[in-house]
Amino acid sequence: MKKIRTLIIDDEQLGRDLIKAYIAKHEGYEVLAECNNGFDGIKQINEMKPDLIFLDIQMPKLTGFEMLELIDSPPVIIFTTAYDQYALKAFDVNATDYLLKPFSEDRFNDSLVKAEKLLSNKAVSLSKFQDILKTAEASREALERVVVKNQQKITLVPVEEIKYIEAQDDYTMLYAEKGNFLKQKTMKYFEESLNSKDFVRIHRSYIVRLALIKQIELLEKESYQIILHDGKKLPVSKTGYSKLKDLF
Amino acid sequence: MSNPFTTNRKIFAAYASMWFLIFLSHVAIIMIVQDIKFYAALVDSFFFNFLYLIIGIGIWYTVRFNNLESYTPLKIFLDHIVSAVITAVIWVAASEFIVSKILSQENFYLEFLNQSLIWRFLIGILYYIALVSINYVIIYYNNFQEKVLKEVELKGLVKEAELNALKYQINPHFIFNSLNSISSLTISNPQRAQEMTIKLSSFLRSTLVKNDNQKSRLIDELNNAMLYMDIEKIRFADKFEFVEEIKPECKEVEVPNMILQPLFENAVKHGVYESLEKVIIKLSCSIEKEYFKIIVENNFDPESVPKRGAGIGIKNIQNRMKLIYNQDNLVVVDKTNSTFKITIYIPMS
Repeated sequence: MKKIRTLIIDDEQLGRDLIKAYIAKHEGYEVLAECNNGFDGIKQINEMKPDLIFLDIQMPKLTGFEMLELIDSPPVIIFTTAYDQYALKAFDVNATDYLLKPFSEDRFNDSLVKAEKLLSNKAVSLSKFQDILKTAEASREALERVVVKNQQKITLVPVEEIKYIEAQDDYTMLYAEKGNFLKQKTMKYFEESLNSKDFVRIHRSYIVRLALIKQIELLEKESYQIILHDGKKLPVSKTGYSKLKDLF
Repeated sequence: MSNPFTTNRKIFAAYASMWFLIFLSHVAIIMIVQDIKFYAALVDSFFFNFLYLIIGIGIWYTVRFNNLESYTPLKIFLDHIVSAVITAVIWVAASEFIVSKILSQENFYLEFLNQSLIWRFLIGILYYIALVSINYVIIYYNNFQEKVLKEVELKGLVKEAELNALKYQINPHFIFNSLNSISSLTISNPQRAQEMTIKLSSFLRSTLVKNDNQKSRLIDELNNAMLYMDIEKIRFADKFEFVEEIKPECKEVEVPNMILQPLFENAVKHGVYESLEKVIIKLSCSIEKEYFKIIVENNFDPESVPKRGAGIGIKNIQNRMKLIYNQDNLVVVDKTNSTFKITIYIPMS
């Protein structure tokens, strides 16, 4: 039988050792690699395309949740974490499983059984992954940084540095201080995740940082545009205009 | 504090009623004692007293800027004498001017007015003294109330700080991760597992003991904080190094309890947890003229994007230092793009 190809992602050596020791007793598994941070994790997942990953949440560089946004072909995920916030409760239904550190060998074996079940049905495991992604987004308190991948380079864009966002088909373009970044997320996603005190959606295709608006200008009857401090002009829709009017 | 006579309705009402009573007595007295006609007495009393009512409101400011705490009694006394004389002169002159215009036909009254000017001047001084006294009483009462309020607020702050300290001591994330490390070590290296169990227990015990002593020697503080560092060292063996540069004379200096461990924890959290490279955490101390300086420095990954909610530990220390020494700026944070340095100034008394 083909072995289940597994990746362990945890920033603590001892945490990885424990999983390795537990999994070594199961013949059907092969540990491909260990990663001690999110960047490396992403690289290994996209290169090796494992069937199963053990994923810690709090790690340097990228958190486990942020990593999920950048995965090309999603594996089955078992979270291993001491993360103690209520956020994890949401995964009860959706995630494959999560192991709260420290966990027993029996509990670990249970999660393997669940994972195997999911692995036998590709369609279910894919929809599970989507569920996990959504739950991870929903459980996040406020968006603080956006992870973007440009070819092979991963960049963390702090939300403070985003100037405005433009819709581009299924993607969005983030205009930030250090450059422009394409992100595979919808305008709706950003409208909901960004703090409404800082950002406002002024148009179907634009979300802009409030503090950067220099003035609102009447173009022709009932048609407006805004001018940013750096001189950039952006169109404003009717609903966008009424939102701005309420804010100023 | 703004003028209570214009901002507080109750005080103004009392003030106006007082003047109304004076007004009535004034009318009665000059009618009965000096045989002044009712009409003349009414005009006289009205203008004199009404004018003082208005001038009196301004007396507040002479009191406000002559508060008892900031100036010597002699200066306050002299200021008020000058102010009383000026007030009385202006009052008498202005009132006399108006009243003598209105009652220019009443010769009998005008004669009485001229003769009574000096007495009116003295009464003006008397009114001044009375109003100043009332004003000082109001200020005193207000300060007293403010003080009570402040005390209540301060008590709340102390409670909050205590609560924060408590919350802070129990960091479940750290505890569970450490337990997981122990769990892992029981398989690979039982002896280290035992070692770590003991360290973790000692550390937890030290945070649970309620130490009534606000202060302890630096060396005791360090030994305690090292329990924490040793545990983190087991978790992140090759990810950080701790360097300690403490001169022998510093070891005996008394410092507030539980002040080092939060600094270390902060360095580990934002340095070690978020970095891939080795992080060096350095502790140094020095004795200066007025302060004992404790410095904790660490490098961090400049590319790590700080998460919000950072620095609760530092804030806690700032609050505590302020409560203990009643002084601001005893905790100074110095951050460059790859190093973090925090300096604690402990006043030497």
